[in-house]
Amino acid sequence: MEHILKGINLNKTFGTKDRNIQALKDVDFYIDEGELLGIAGESGSGKSTLLNVMSGLIRPDSGELFYREQEYTGKGPSQTGKFLQMIFQDAKNSFDPRFTMERSLLESRRKKTDRDALCGILKEVGLDEKLLKRKASELSGGQCQRMSIARALYSEADILLCDEITSALDVSSQAQVVGILKRLNTERKLTAVFVSHDIALLSMLCSRIMVMKDGIEVEQGVVEDIVRRPKHEYTKLLIESARKQSL
Amino acid sequence: MKKRISRKKAVKIKLVIMAALALSVVFLTLFAGVIAKNDPYQTCATSIRTAPCVDYPFGTDNLGRCIFARVLYGGRTTIAATFALVFISFAIGTVIGMVCGYYGGLIDRLLMRLADITLGFPQMVVAIAVAGILGGGIKSAMIALGITMWVSFARLARSHTFSIRSAAFVQTARFAGKNDAYIIMVHVFPNLLAPVLTNALTQIGTTMIGLSGLSFLGLGVIPPAAEWGAMISEARAYIQIAPWAVIYPSVATIITIIIFNYLGDVIMDYREVR
Repeated sequence: MEHILKGINLNKTFGTKDRNIQALKDVDFYIDEGELLGIAGESGSGKSTLLNVMSGLIRPDSGELFYREQEYTGKGPSQTGKFLQMIFQDAKNSFDPRFTMERSLLESRRKKTDRDALCGILKEVGLDEKLLKRKASELSGGQCQRMSIARALYSEADILLCDEITSALDVSSQAQVVGILKRLNTERKLTAVFVSHDIALLSMLCSRIMVMKDGIEVEQGVVEDIVRRPKHEYTKLLIESARKQSL
Repeated sequence: MKKRISRKKAVKIKLVIMAALALSVVFLTLFAGVIAKNDPYQTCATSIRTAPCVDYPFGTDNLGRCIFARVLYGGRTTIAATFALVFISFAIGTVIGMVCGYYGGLIDRLLMRLADITLGFPQMVVAIAVAGILGGGIKSAMIALGITMWVSFARLARSHTFSIRSAAFVQTARFAGKNDAYIIMVHVFPNLLAPVLTNALTQIGTTMIGLSGLSFLGLGVIPPAAEWGAMISEARAYIQIAPWAVIYPSVATIITIIIFNYLGDVIMDYREVR
């Protein structure tokens, strides 16, 4: 089966004067069309670096990236933006503070402006059209994040890359965003990668989870296997701490 | 909350007052021809060093010229030269700062080291040296001060560009296929405009002091052109017999500098509370 996105042997090292930090060590990944992949791990595990490498924001030191079997290693966001979109943790900061939502959303689309499509997408994410006239500072965090999702959908990208998109939201906004994404996956066959330190959230949302630690992919598999039968000690630890938090 | 709103209101009132005062100064000099009855360059042998009176509200100087008219016309020279110099430095410095902050690399290192070297010398010393080499005239004085003035704008624009270029909304624009020129013009420049413009306003007072200082030293405007610094310099020789010839241009300089400096401060306050 053809994977929509695939990475092979990805390596990335960040150098400082004193030491080098290897953020990714021979990481492989793939994602199929209509799949929701979760990447779990604690801070510094390399999950956000992997997402940035996938998106083209960071160039890997070695390894290869493929979109529908076409290599795109080394291509920047202006090229990768044709098939993927990033949704950032700080949703408010992902909109130019001077722009109205309408201007921001229209800017994100490479194709001709389609007002009907835009209104339809806003309905899908549960937002009122009136909010298009507002700026990011006039919206709540949850509304901004849903606007980010709307923007990504309006750009007609095939894949959404979501970097800790619920971690800055309150519990009810988190639930709303998760609900919207699950529905979009069912109705639109949405393909997305979610990076989060919260393995419980990923297990609710995703069909497959990849666990990372110190730049290494320690384990990956379907949610059922990862949550019920974790093989790696680190995965067990993550699940255990998620259980403790939910108590 | 109540305290915050009242502070905002107070700052707004201050801003309106200071803006009105600054505009008044500008209009007074712009309409000098209408306000002043006498010709600022007309000498009068029978009215040399006349004390302030109805015909000459600020008195006359050593050549019998009306000081009131010369203060108004001189303000035109000082204010126009100051605004032009601040604007040119703002434009050059901001462009350099944006290019350095956005692209980084060798060009950034080279230009910022040049900025460091420029900052290593006291501004007035460099200005005196350069004005001395270029000779007299307001253009020479502007070039002399402009050599060091662009640096503050460049450094400020660079630091803001540096943070804006990595902001998520800029990354999003990149994903939308927008090129560097678009990002700089549509996202970077408008978002750094407010702090850099505030800096420009705070530079007006300093620049005015610089230009008047150079004129005072004989490195600014060439006589008989009216300019506050030059007027003070000319009149200090006979300060004991005609103190008004020094007092009025000095007061005009001090008041204008205070107004523009305070306007800059109030604008900074306004940006904080807005």
